[in-house]
Amino acid sequence: MNGAKWPTVKDAGSLASAETTVIGKQVRGKRPAASGTFFQKYNILPSLLFFVLWELFSRVNESAKFFNPNFLPAPTVLLSEGWELAKTGIITDSIISSTIRILLGFVIGSAVAVALGVVMSKFKAVERWFSPILNLVGPIPALALLPLFIIWFGIGEFPKVLLIAWTTFIPVLVYTLDGFKSVPSTLIRSALSLGATERQIFTRVMLPSAIPNFLVGAQVSLGLSFSALIVSEMMGAKSGLGYIIVDARNYFKITNMFVAIILIGLEYSLFSYLLKLVERRIMAWRKGGLRDAVEK
Amino acid sequence: MEVRQVGKSFGSRSILKKVDLTVHSHEFICILGHSGCGKSTLLNMIAGYLLPDEGEITVDGEAVKGPSKSRGMVFQDHALFPWMTVLDNISFGPEVQKMPKAQAKETAKEFLKLVGLEPYASHYPGELSGGMKQRVGIARALASRPDILLMDEPFGALDVLTRETMRIELQKICSQLKPTILFVTHSISEAVYLADRVVVMKHGEIAEIFEVGIKHPRSSHSAGFGEMMSRIERVLMDEEHLELASAKVGS
Repeated sequence: MNGAKWPTVKDAGSLASAETTVIGKQVRGKRPAASGTFFQKYNILPSLLFFVLWELFSRVNESAKFFNPNFLPAPTVLLSEGWELAKTGIITDSIISSTIRILLGFVIGSAVAVALGVVMSKFKAVERWFSPILNLVGPIPALALLPLFIIWFGIGEFPKVLLIAWTTFIPVLVYTLDGFKSVPSTLIRSALSLGATERQIFTRVMLPSAIPNFLVGAQVSLGLSFSALIVSEMMGAKSGLGYIIVDARNYFKITNMFVAIILIGLEYSLFSYLLKLVERRIMAWRKGGLRDAVEK
Repeated sequence: MEVRQVGKSFGSRSILKKVDLTVHSHEFICILGHSGCGKSTLLNMIAGYLLPDEGEITVDGEAVKGPSKSRGMVFQDHALFPWMTVLDNISFGPEVQKMPKAQAKETAKEFLKLVGLEPYASHYPGELSGGMKQRVGIARALASRPDILLMDEPFGALDVLTRETMRIELQKICSQLKPTILFVTHSISEAVYLADRVVVMKHGEIAEIFEVGIKHPRSSHSAGFGEMMSRIERVLMDEEHLELASAKVGS
């Protein structure tokens, strides 16, 4: 569907730009100009405005001194400082080690959650034994466990990945289980009447039916596992974006702090975007929502 | 297929009481009754989703112990797999029955042609209209070659016009394939239009069985059509359900 729409959007854009050059002002009032369609396609205007306002405020603050200008450096300053920092190689190292940690933790946590979800939905006894325990330990904020993990497992990679995996595990498990339980019974019935075995029903009906729920769980836990990542890097780490923040605090390098914070935001956005892509790919069959309800 | 002395109750409410019914092969039987008369329960038991409390249901002499591919089902809400394309939905049955994939797709295409939806092979069910979905549902049930096709108010959720075309289509398919069909409905005209025999159920019992001897293709102007309808109507309406029934006749 999207694929089909693409060229028409582009065409409209080039058409509009062609007309604006020819007819000029007359068209501008009626149709969005080429730049308008660009901003419609990539909604970056708000963030752009945000940084511009920040820049202006920081520049004004440098002379007006509402508060210590060092507390809020301007984005352009951050860019140049960040570039200096990047030259030392610290930033690439940190991004790489943070990415590896979150990927490992996220994948391990999701895999274990789905596996346990499968077993729990298949065997009533397992669910009977596991769900009270999960209800007991599930609500504990994972960050509360970090000092304990460090005492148990040291300050290496293992406790960090474990913490991220744990924060991923709980929401994914809850949502996936819910997905298995809410498979419409008529789907199972029709599969049975078409001659599917129990195993086939599981792999061909239950699993695909639970995927949307799993993705919601993954989306929810992504935010949680990012905070787990940063906090675990703030405690007993030698690398990572969280480490840059703690390190910068120790030397009062506020610009470095901002650089790390922005990088965290960017990395989270990237991961979230990737997950959305996966979702759109897998869920091409799904329709609904406001966009489909009313044509505009 | 035989239903012998079958009874079923949920809690203290008994839904079916000592139902006897014999279905011969290639026969089209409509089960007609008000909502809550137990017709869907009977169908679900024949499909094997529910088990009878008393009595026994046998197909070719073998007792029904659970769902099986020999009894295909078409649901009112079509129950298509939303993540599969139309073609994949239809080839699901042949595929899980160990037919090679390419051959299963061929079979699916055949049945897709039968219901006249070839251009929609790669669409998802969510993109189809209600009538089209139900056609896919019928094609899917037929593609796994069941001995008996069970249909639980398959056109119940469709609008009147679509219903009309669907029953003409179903009639055509029947004359081509001659399957054995058990069709649950609450529309008298639908029953008289389609069935060889109409089984009227009331309060969990079979009230009467009518042989519809009218030649196919039938229409409401066929000789004896109106008479058959009013005879069935009388059986359905002779009690406190009078108002309810008159409302249903219209549909």
